[in-house]
Amino acid sequence: QVGLQYLSGEVSGGNGRCIAMLLAFREAIKDYSTPPNKTLSRDLTAKVSSYVSFFIECRPLSISMGNAIRFLKNRIAKLPITLSESEAKASLQSDIDRFINEKIVVADQVIVSHAITKVRDDDVLLTYGSSSVVEMILEHAHELGRKFRVIVVDSRPKLEGQGLLRRLVAKGINCTYTHINAVSYIMHEVTRVFLGASSILSNGTVYSRVGTASVAMVAHAFGIPVLVCCEAYKFHERVQLDSICANELGDPDVISKIPGRADLGDLKNWADNENLQLLNLTYDATPSDYVSMIITDYGMLPPTSVPVIVREYRKEQLWV
Amino acid sequence: MPDMQPLISDFVLKLKRRKVEGSHAVARQTAELLRSVVSQHRMGSTNQAAALADAIHAVGEHLIAANPIELAVGNTVRRVLHIIKEEDISFTAVGIEGLSVTAVSDDECDSGNDDRPTLSAAVLASHARNALRAPSLQTLLDDIPVSTALSHSSSSAGDSDGKSKYTGDKSLKTRKLKHDVIAAIGDLIEEIDTCYDQISEQAVEHIHQNEVILTLGRSRTVKEFLYAAKEKKRSFRVFVAEGAPRYQGHALAKELVEKGIQTTVITDSAVFAMISRVNMVIVGVHAIMANGGVIAPVGMNMVALAAQRHAVPFVVVAGSHKLCPLYPHNPEVLLNELKSPSDLLDFGEFSNCMNFSTQDGTPLLNVANPTFDYVPPKLVSLFITDTGGHSPSYMYRLISEYYSADDLVVRRKSTS
Repeated sequence: QVGLQYLSGEVSGGNGRCIAMLLAFREAIKDYSTPPNKTLSRDLTAKVSSYVSFFIECRPLSISMGNAIRFLKNRIAKLPITLSESEAKASLQSDIDRFINEKIVVADQVIVSHAITKVRDDDVLLTYGSSSVVEMILEHAHELGRKFRVIVVDSRPKLEGQGLLRRLVAKGINCTYTHINAVSYIMHEVTRVFLGASSILSNGTVYSRVGTASVAMVAHAFGIPVLVCCEAYKFHERVQLDSICANELGDPDVISKIPGRADLGDLKNWADNENLQLLNLTYDATPSDYVSMIITDYGMLPPTSVPVIVREYRKEQLWV
Repeated sequence: MPDMQPLISDFVLKLKRRKVEGSHAVARQTAELLRSVVSQHRMGSTNQAAALADAIHAVGEHLIAANPIELAVGNTVRRVLHIIKEEDISFTAVGIEGLSVTAVSDDECDSGNDDRPTLSAAVLASHARNALRAPSLQTLLDDIPVSTALSHSSSSAGDSDGKSKYTGDKSLKTRKLKHDVIAAIGDLIEEIDTCYDQISEQAVEHIHQNEVILTLGRSRTVKEFLYAAKEKKRSFRVFVAEGAPRYQGHALAKELVEKGIQTTVITDSAVFAMISRVNMVIVGVHAIMANGGVIAPVGMNMVALAAQRHAVPFVVVAGSHKLCPLYPHNPEVLLNELKSPSDLLDFGEFSNCMNFSTQDGTPLLNVANPTFDYVPPKLVSLFITDTGGHSPSYMYRLISEYYSADDLVVRRKSTS
């Protein structure tokens, strides 16, 4: 069921997908019963792998999901053999709950408390797309009574910024909405840029929604600080130099269809023509020199400290 | 010129309502309109060039005010003014030459006309040409009162008796100046029309084999450029970025595919991601400013910055009618136009966000939808115009060739 939600795009965003997946796993574990003549850990691991491949078919895994799955398999493998089945299941469920709580929910609160110090009165903050962490920061800052303006930059084909815009305006935050081509026009008004990330790689590259790199580049050209907010569980030891080597391709049809503009039907039969291709990238890689600071639940770091966190985090995960 | 008034008002209205769009169409129609103005103009007996220029100033002021963002209008008006000056100079130079010949021959019987300095016609003509150009060090140092010499020679020639041949020349001169100006404007129109061919001829020099080209939006110049390369059997593929919110990239992709060019359409957000795999960025622009900077469709600055980061050449193709002698002061605001927010947000969907209940009454939701972007000259690698390839630092010289310095402000002179 969760897989179908991924496919339709109902559940999107790194944290959202991860939480949904872990909750689904928890349900599965609750309903699980060990078949006879098999050890719990090995069988459960196999079951989990089959679930994961189902998820991959619906939509390629995000890096945060990959990390969570690795954690879960680790816990399963570490189960002492002496535990009874019900005890093992209970312990796994509590592990999942703790993971969600510690790494996502509490982490977000810590990030928000760090980032609030960076929002001052009369700031003009720019954000791109829709990131759950950035949204929490903005709402919290507004509740604290800071006076600031938000500029939401959006792009095709997902137009995620519109959802964020609605939620912010409903809270009473003064917003400006624009599309990604206009960032050069709007950037001279901006004081800070807050971006979310799907993952941060070991060379400091920020891997996030396509278009983030362009926004960070223009901000850098205007000398405006770029702050990336990302929970630590999303860090990864992989390195990547550009956006082409590892990416996710979305549905190309959404490029040809433009909602609300029925007159622009030039690319209707694009599949018929072998010379024409439509490319719909989902992610892109922002080089680390465009990022001024990364805010995580471990604190505020420069992009060069990311491999340190990755190493510490691996060690911590092993004995947690 | 009462009979010109409806034509002029009609064009002004079209410009105001943005019914005429695109630099090429605008430049062409402006040139044709000015040609009719010149042909309808009643030429006086003295100082025709100044009167003609004044008429053009009056018309041009209205045209430019109708749509100040459409710089091609002002460019064409200034070109016509420059043409008038040039034709006048060359004409007077020819007249002086004939004059000095007759003066020398009649010197024996007409000795009272030696109060003017005897300058040879060639020197006068060259000084007149220098006066047309922007003041350079040479002209400042030479400092010969050219205009006074010219007016003296023409008026003293008119005053003297027995020069019946010259008065015959005078009426001939009236008609000939107008005729020359009209012919030159016709040349200008032809130049505007054929700019695509001349630019496309240079395509072969820049596109080799297995090239990957990136472009944004849709420009007719770029399209012709790529067609020409395809004709010459160069192999290349093109990435076209959509160009929201007009989405003209879709139309360009369709046209390119019809000619058999491998095309891929990407969203504007993917430009930074794809540009590492691109050999060259070729774009068309709205106008080229005097410092070599460029007014281009929105999003172009982002593409130029990405190209600079990845050391990809950023090539601008444009006809010379887009070259504007103005310097861009604060171009993001002054040379820009904000369009309707309905391109970005559907009014119906967002109607519940349109409440004005903040303390100071400012709306909670603003939408910015600019039309143009400014690209500074340091991000442009090469300009390809119908006169050849130039670097951004050279563009100001082209301006001195096409325009004269005192025409920057087009305004009707108050003394006419």
